[in-house]
Amino acid sequence: MASAVAFKLITPTEIVFEGEAELVIATGTEGEEGILAHHAPFLTALRPGVLRANVSGSSGQTSRLELATSEGFMQALPDRVTVIVDQALRFEDVDVVQTRQQLSEALERQAHVAAQSPEFAREQSAIDFANAKLRLTGH
Amino acid sequence: MASVRDLRDRIKSLKNTQQITKAMKQVAAAKIRRAEAVQKQARPYADTLAEMLRDLLQNVRSVDHPFMKPGRAGAPSGVILMTADKGLAGAFNSNLVQTAETFRRAHQDAVFYSVGIKARNAIRRWGKADHATWVLGAPDKIRTAREISERVSADFTNGTIGEIVLISPKLISMMSQKPERRTLVPITGEQSPERSGVLSERSESKGKGAVEFSPSPEFVLSRLIPKYLEFTIYSAMLETDAAFFAAQLVAMSNATDNAGKLIRDLTIVMNNARQAAITKELLEIVAGAEALAG
Repeated sequence: MASAVAFKLITPTEIVFEGEAELVIATGTEGEEGILAHHAPFLTALRPGVLRANVSGSSGQTSRLELATSEGFMQALPDRVTVIVDQALRFEDVDVVQTRQQLSEALERQAHVAAQSPEFAREQSAIDFANAKLRLTGH
Repeated sequence: MASVRDLRDRIKSLKNTQQITKAMKQVAAAKIRRAEAVQKQARPYADTLAEMLRDLLQNVRSVDHPFMKPGRAGAPSGVILMTADKGLAGAFNSNLVQTAETFRRAHQDAVFYSVGIKARNAIRRWGKADHATWVLGAPDKIRTAREISERVSADFTNGTIGEIVLISPKLISMMSQKPERRTLVPITGEQSPERSGVLSERSESKGKGAVEFSPSPEFVLSRLIPKYLEFTIYSAMLETDAAFFAAQLVAMSNATDNAGKLIRDLTIVMNNARQAAITKELLEIVAGAEALAG
């Protein structure tokens, strides 16, 4: 198997994943960032998006981890990758109906604020996160 | 002296009170365990965030963020007073309010923000009915923390306030919680070591190798610092929760003990009174019999 790095995905309320990963792909503010083992020290801010990782379980076989994540940060070191986000949802944790409603509410609210204001950015982040959740669930 | 019946009624009502305090004590004990678990779950996030910030500050030559510089000269202090929503926890809330009161005496013009219903009521009593306020017990604490952080950040950036001070309880042990006052912004090196050692350790481990930042260190820093403030407020909320239940546990345990003591004392008084009544009646009968016989 290809060399792997210790990968941790952390939210303020739990450690969502802790194990080995061959590849971690997250949505940075500049676009998607893929991290392999032995990556040079790297730190980036993340936008809401779908985080994907090829992870290996204790028995050695690799599996695919896909999560919708909100804003956060990713830190890569040669031997480990750490992602901290406010929220990370698995496929089964996403409530599609509710997400659709959140999306339309956020769009509605955003339409009433100035484009450069912090409120606009906050709503944009909510919209991106809702879209990420929908993309994760294949909508 | 109170009659036997009066005493019996009082004992009965005391027993009821004792039952309530005992139940509240048990509830507090269960809740404190949950609050501590939530606090513990936030640890890895806190550690990682601190590590990232440390890495970043080592690699940024000049830190150019409004939070790292003093606020507008002459602007009043912004104080976040954090208490519980409910009482029945001894002097827990009033100690916090008192700390804020002391601060207010020294800084007449301070702007207050309240988190927790008790804090809100106290600040309203000072005649600041329209201050910004949040409840502590909202289901989504992270969101509340973000709202608070956004509000105080905006006020700091536009010069309404010149610093951000937080007054919240510190859980020293199960038996002791103390109000703590710390300055969150501007961020300086002299804050309590455990919380912001993060920022003072920057000179310590230099030459760890250059870290690459995307898109730029300044940009990542401009995202990390607000997150750091937000998370500091979030963890203070968790600590307030835990400290409140600890204080309530102690208060209710004392109340249960006191009720027990009162019940014991009153029971003795009641038994004495009952015995005195019986003795008196006996004496009357004996005296009456003797008078007849005599």
